[in-house]
Amino acid sequence: MSTPSARTIAAVVGCSILVLLPLFGSDFFVDFVMTRTLMLGLAASTLIFLSAYGGMVSLAQWLMFGVAGFAVGNVVAKSGRGLQLGMNAWIGVLVAIIVTTALALLLGTLSARSTGIYFLMLTLVYAVIGFYFFGQVITFSGFGGMTGIDPPGFFADEPKRIYYAGLLLSVLAYVGFRAIARTPFGLSLQGVRDDPIRMSSLGFNVQLHRTLAFTLAGFVAGFAGILNIWWNGQIDPTSISISPTLDLLIIAVIGGIAHLEGAWLGAFVFVSANIYLRDIPVLGDLGGFIEERVLAPERFNTVIGIVLLLIMLLSPDGLAGIIVRIRDAVDRRLGRDSPDVHRTPAEIETAGREPEGWSTPEADWIEPHDAGPTS
Amino acid sequence: MKTTKNRRMLRVIGISMTVALIAAACGSDDDSSSSTDAPAGTDAPAETDAPAETDAPADTEAPTDDTSGSDGGDDSTVRLGILAECEGAFGGFNEDTVAGTTLALINEAGATSNSTTTALDGFTGAEVAGVPIELVGIGCGDDTADRAIQEIRTLVEQDGANVVIGPLSGDEGIAVANYALDHPEVTFINGIAGAQDATLHVQAPNFFRYNGDGAQWNAGVGDILFNEAGWETAAVIADDYGFGWTSAAGFVADFCAAGGDVVSQVFPPLGTTDYSSFVQQLPDPDEVDGYFWVVGGTGTNASLEAFLNAKGDLTGDQHAGNLFFSPTLAESLGTDIAGAYVGGFASLPGDISTPEITAYLDSADAAWESLAGGTSANEPAPPSQALGFGFAYGYYSGTLALVQALDEVGGDLSDNQAALRAALSDITLDAPYGPITLDSNRQAIVDTFVAQLVLEDGEVVQKTVAIVPGVDQTFGGTYSSESDPPERDNTPCEEKSLPWQGNEIPVVDGVPQR
Amino acid sequence: MTSNATTPNTSRTTLLRLESVVVAFGGLVAVSNIDLDVARGDRLAVLGPNGAGKTTLFNAIAGDITPTEGRVLIKGVDCTSLPSRLRPQLGVARTYQKTRLFAGLTVEDNLYLAQTGKQRRHLSLWRGSRDAELRERARHAAGQVWLTDQLDAEVGDLSHGQQRQLEVGMALVTEPDLIMLDEPASGLSRGERERLIQLLEDLPTETTLLLIEHDMDVALKVADSVVVMADGVKVAAGSPDEIRNDPLVHAIYLGEEGAA
Repeated sequence: MSTPSARTIAAVVGCSILVLLPLFGSDFFVDFVMTRTLMLGLAASTLIFLSAYGGMVSLAQWLMFGVAGFAVGNVVAKSGRGLQLGMNAWIGVLVAIIVTTALALLLGTLSARSTGIYFLMLTLVYAVIGFYFFGQVITFSGFGGMTGIDPPGFFADEPKRIYYAGLLLSVLAYVGFRAIARTPFGLSLQGVRDDPIRMSSLGFNVQLHRTLAFTLAGFVAGFAGILNIWWNGQIDPTSISISPTLDLLIIAVIGGIAHLEGAWLGAFVFVSANIYLRDIPVLGDLGGFIEERVLAPERFNTVIGIVLLLIMLLSPDGLAGIIVRIRDAVDRRLGRDSPDVHRTPAEIETAGREPEGWSTPEADWIEPHDAGPTS
Repeated sequence: MKTTKNRRMLRVIGISMTVALIAAACGSDDDSSSSTDAPAGTDAPAETDAPAETDAPADTEAPTDDTSGSDGGDDSTVRLGILAECEGAFGGFNEDTVAGTTLALINEAGATSNSTTTALDGFTGAEVAGVPIELVGIGCGDDTADRAIQEIRTLVEQDGANVVIGPLSGDEGIAVANYALDHPEVTFINGIAGAQDATLHVQAPNFFRYNGDGAQWNAGVGDILFNEAGWETAAVIADDYGFGWTSAAGFVADFCAAGGDVVSQVFPPLGTTDYSSFVQQLPDPDEVDGYFWVVGGTGTNASLEAFLNAKGDLTGDQHAGNLFFSPTLAESLGTDIAGAYVGGFASLPGDISTPEITAYLDSADAAWESLAGGTSANEPAPPSQALGFGFAYGYYSGTLALVQALDEVGGDLSDNQAALRAALSDITLDAPYGPITLDSNRQAIVDTFVAQLVLEDGEVVQKTVAIVPGVDQTFGGTYSSESDPPERDNTPCEEKSLPWQGNEIPVVDGVPQR
Repeated sequence: MTSNATTPNTSRTTLLRLESVVVAFGGLVAVSNIDLDVARGDRLAVLGPNGAGKTTLFNAIAGDITPTEGRVLIKGVDCTSLPSRLRPQLGVARTYQKTRLFAGLTVEDNLYLAQTGKQRRHLSLWRGSRDAELRERARHAAGQVWLTDQLDAEVGDLSHGQQRQLEVGMALVTEPDLIMLDEPASGLSRGERERLIQLLEDLPTETTLLLIEHDMDVALKVADSVVVMADGVKVAAGSPDEIRNDPLVHAIYLGEEGAA
């Protein structure tokens, strides 16, 4: 509490910049790059929340994002495909959030017993089923998707308002997720992440915690999906196919899957790389074989892939991890007390386990003391 | 430890990008209560540096060199954006579509291609009625609507395009037409996307389409099958997605209007590899006069072979298909497939030759030495091969319309391009493969064709049978802005008169008998 | 055959009772027909060489394994097939032989979580009125296991010995009626063992202790009654002194030790 000013300065400077960004950033930068960054960041933050606090790497977050969009489309659209209920856009919001949250509760319940790679695969299956569901069930969409979805009047033709909505929701999600981490629920969730067997023997309902965390993440992802369909105006099954599903994971990983702020960092890098990287002049000026065969503009996706690969190789903990390391280096240079090396989730995961052979080795193959209700 | 952790977090925030910074700054109250942070003075520099660092790219990159006048008010230049396709199922046709637009500017607006082997390097010197046409960007679509919107936003909002040509495929077209509604300052000319809704339902006043939709391309096939091949009943098997439905709907509307009856429709999902269960649902050959196939990609062969296995009999006189039918089917099915009728597409088959077509194809060969387009599997080939195919031709005719309209109004782009748009709407385009006019929804009324697979010297080849003139989008009122877009089998089967019924122009040995 | 704790105890209420418990894995009988009667306040150590079935018996009591035959009663409640998750409600707390802690959380948070498991409000998004009390108890428990200086340290950063201490603290903090320790001394240095023994000797007298221990020194110092197992069978029972002088136990134990 001795230096509230440091935080206050950071808060004031940071808030001011993003709040005032529309005044000095170009329309395209604000309405497209940053708005999309905020929406993707919001969606990715739910993935990171589940992963960092719950130990669950979910590939179903993009599905939640998409389901909210389809729900809005079905409720709001007056013509075209789907239910065409033609109702008020705010009713669409309500329905979308209810549907998304209920679906998250259902899927969370189904997958609460799975962990690790099995959880990942299960959520991937959800994503694939979602794609085919909206593709083949033409009652709700069909492969053509839903087009011409208008936002509520307040947001219509007001891209800056959608930007601010994205900013507000992102701040709320960030604050909220971090605050939740300190609540009894959030601490319990982190306990489940670190050792579900111990949690269970302490009396916690581990699966209930997983389910509720998944539901909460779906609820938040739903808001990102609503914002997206207002901004994008359309959604179709390819919007929730494997490719964008994996994009969200990539965003989380390059941002730093152990850091909540990595969601927005990753989203910003992902969005701007896709837009600006192809314009980098050096790619066009190399000439000869390199330009024609290796770095031709139409191969910019390869370049993006290499950039993302570099980030991942340089820092398994993503951009947020790189920033932490730079800060540590600066600290050391300035001779401050150097904090302990930042730990990746993997390190945290292994650090708690005692090294094999430390304790008196016991031939206990017959005595599975790890046996627990979740194993 | 907690102290260090908090301070570490604080400084992560300090150096990180603005979004993370604000979110963290606004929200890090949760665990700060127990914190005894480092002195403010040590952290402050990092924090104040952060915005400067992270926003710098934003400020420098957002306005690119092309956007000097991107406010939409500059009416002295046509800043042209092309929404092409460089990824996805049609990614191989990137060259073709850009070449289509470029060739129109070379032929009619004095442009010169920057390269003799590719159109992707752009062009220079395009000018119509004193108004220069400059290329501000080529969007890279991937066959999805989301991507199309992102690319078109980049072209319009970032690169400052005031005229956009594209896109290629149906769902993208609907997305772009909807985007057009919100951006009245930009004129959109469709590339070769064929979804019916883009014009019939969206009706954006600044979206123009100079090619037929997926249903229009099949006009005339049903009429000829009923009246000349003697089909009275037909079964339809079509891919279960937008283009499959639309293409099948065109056949159903046309065949029923002529007097035929569609007794069965089957819709296998995209990507099916084993079609046997779907083929089983079709009536047997003795229960129906014929089958109409709208199965694309590798499914064309697979579904026909499944039919051969299940029904034991496959002859050309009992089968017809949309543009997915081609002579290559004979390689696996044998020459019995000869006799099958085939629906049309944007351009005409290579066996038709008119002076206009010849001049058009020659101009392509004069513009480039070679092009590595999708029709030649991206190997260098004579440019006329790419330009003779519908994808390039769609972009060509759209650009041709732009040039012709711009010339008519003397380069007047004022008042949100009002005069230009009026001219675009009223145009009668003398396009190489036949005249094109627009209806009140700014949708093309086109000439399409019906072809047939025939046996010639022991080889199956495609021959044009008839040109179907003046095909409009409504099929005599079956489709309107009130009707639902084509879905699985929602096209009513009604006998009615259509403008082109009986007016098909026979083609004999490649020469239309007008 | 029922073995009663030999130490005189005024309140002879039975807290834990095993009736003919058998645990078999397929055809392999790990625990064979064990009866046990532990009164409130007893300090019982189960000793035995590797593979004697100690940990299996422990897991059967903790609820991680359901006995093949027989019954387990805690406070008179038959919890033979009650899942381990519901046993804290009966006032049971346990430790693990291989440390099971929340490595990404602080010592205080670990001890806090250890208490909240019994309560419904661990699903709460708000810190309730009892939160401060739970935190206070967590800090107190940390003091009991000499971890006051490490309260805000992430558990993953602690030394092995400190983690073992916390492991015991996790059980203590719930103020259980029955505390079950699975080889708490494993991997500890001599000094750490001394502290552990002191800690266990300082437990409230009404707390019942069930100790599984490989290390005879620790077990015989802390316990007031001892059961020795070998090959799944109870081979001896008595006071620490009796066990210490029992030649059979020596034969089993030292023979095994020698072989190891």
